[in-house]
Amino acid sequence: MSTDLSTPLPTRRSTHPRLAPAKTAPSSKPTQRRRGPRPGRIAGYVLIAVVMVLYLFPLLFLLNTALKSNAEFNADPVGVLTSINLGNFAAAWVKGNFGAYILNSVLYTAAAAGLGTLVSLLLGFPVGRGYFRRTKLWNLIFVLMLFLPNALITQFQLVRTLGLYDNRLGYILIMAAGVGVGPILMTGFVKSLPKELDEAAALDGIGYWRYLFTFVLPLARPAVATIFILQAIGVWNDIILATILLPDQSKSPLTLGLFAFQGTYTSQWGLLSAATLIVAAPLVIAYIFLQRYLVGGVIGGAVKG
Amino acid sequence: MTESFPFPRRAPMRITFTLGLAVLVIFAIVPAVGVLFIAFTDIRGIVGIPVHWIGLDNFVSFFSAAHLGYNLNAIKNTLIYAIVSTVVGIVLALGIAVLLNQKFRGTNAYRAIVFLPTVLGVTVIGLIWSLIFNPSAGPAASIWKLFGADSAFFGDPHMALGLVIAVQIWAGLGTSVVIFLAGLQAIPEDLYESSSMDGATPWQQLRMVTIPMLAPSITANVLLGIVGSLQSYQLTYVLTGANNPATQLLSLAIFSQGFGGSSASGVSQSQGYAAAISIVQFVIVGVISLVVLQYLRRREARL
Repeated sequence: MSTDLSTPLPTRRSTHPRLAPAKTAPSSKPTQRRRGPRPGRIAGYVLIAVVMVLYLFPLLFLLNTALKSNAEFNADPVGVLTSINLGNFAAAWVKGNFGAYILNSVLYTAAAAGLGTLVSLLLGFPVGRGYFRRTKLWNLIFVLMLFLPNALITQFQLVRTLGLYDNRLGYILIMAAGVGVGPILMTGFVKSLPKELDEAAALDGIGYWRYLFTFVLPLARPAVATIFILQAIGVWNDIILATILLPDQSKSPLTLGLFAFQGTYTSQWGLLSAATLIVAAPLVIAYIFLQRYLVGGVIGGAVKG
Repeated sequence: MTESFPFPRRAPMRITFTLGLAVLVIFAIVPAVGVLFIAFTDIRGIVGIPVHWIGLDNFVSFFSAAHLGYNLNAIKNTLIYAIVSTVVGIVLALGIAVLLNQKFRGTNAYRAIVFLPTVLGVTVIGLIWSLIFNPSAGPAASIWKLFGADSAFFGDPHMALGLVIAVQIWAGLGTSVVIFLAGLQAIPEDLYESSSMDGATPWQQLRMVTIPMLAPSITANVLLGIVGSLQSYQLTYVLTGANNPATQLLSLAIFSQGFGGSSASGVSQSQGYAAAISIVQFVIVGVISLVVLQYLRRREARL
């Protein structure tokens, strides 16, 4: 990530003359490809460069800190590193138990977002089709669910009452129920599927369940992906509910595991940075491959919503 | 109104609908409605000890002299946090989206980078910014030193909230940018062509074409921003802890009053009182969202 992006940035920054933006704006007009409204391209690139620095510098600085030896960090905590030292990574991996936390997080995210997406489909399809009476009421309920009060206390009490405290299943069920905009997106998307399809399938003797899972599910893939991704982001980032519902450290998701690690090794910045990178690296790598779908997924949801 | 139902039997639909609904009712709606009841009791974190109905005591205590200062501070911080992060976040997101919509080389990569913090998660973001704003040896401290100043950053009560808001904006910008970009791509090109033939400057086009056409995306972003920032506390928890008065938010207060800020001490806390804070927060979020939604709807209608 850093290698393919850091190269264009310096050239872009070094080629811009300081006063160019204002002057190039009108003069660049005839040379534009198609669109009318364009500020000068150089000014645009400068602004983009500024934004990219704001987003990439913190990550590069993290890498810089992680690769420094303790001696080098103490001598010059801010400067660019002089030699690469992987000791922090080895120490963080041994002390951190991050492999187990990553597995926990993957399990919670896949299970909770998967179940939540299934619920959105089961509720959204018949309501979107109008197969129940009081379609408007159901739609209203789906919207009101977005504005429910903060229920930390009662979720804790519920999970305790059900005997699911400190139990992975209890946490997954609570996180799965946080479907957010899922049912709303699904009802919206279902309307774009032709109703004739239902009728044709029914004429061929296909039952409701088979139709829902072998026809609607594949056809609704864009909506399903969006719903899953939006919920997965929420589960992946949760730290508070995990703190409350899963006191046993061996069940901690990554957020909590890393947070506990930060609390244990305060101010050992090299070690902390290495631990953070160990956590972030698989995410960044997965993200590079999936970003089209991830970002596209949010767009799909936003447009339909 | 029921549409004609083409499938042979309704039972399968009813079964799966009910199962799905049951998950939501048990694990989301019951807890949410339960907050309203629990707020009138003295329930604690231990299962099995008797629970008493104590009427409005929790609300009286919320506004009592002993708690009022703490709570007003939390309300004030929550409002500042919500307003500043929503307004500044949306203005920046709009700017970046308009910029990225100009078809520069590598637009997808830029968009992906702005969205990256969403994937990294709050703990990673928290550590990155604690490192940058490390008061004794961080790059921000070095810059401060150039001007002969020093600061405790997240430890400075005058600065902590501002910094947390800035990190929140940094972290949350991606989603808004992506929503705006989708809205921008739906604006027909000829609107720009005809307005530029009429001699509109880029600034006029932004104000008279882009922003009005983006009204639905703006409404979506404002609402998501307000609801999200009024209820979000994960980042604040990670950056400054659950009990820092400078960054005390209502949602964090629910956590620290109900669970003492750590799972171990949770059992003895008065959770009824924490539930009462939830209700106060719910009313504030509801009123603000409704007012803002009403305003934005009316603007959309006028445009």
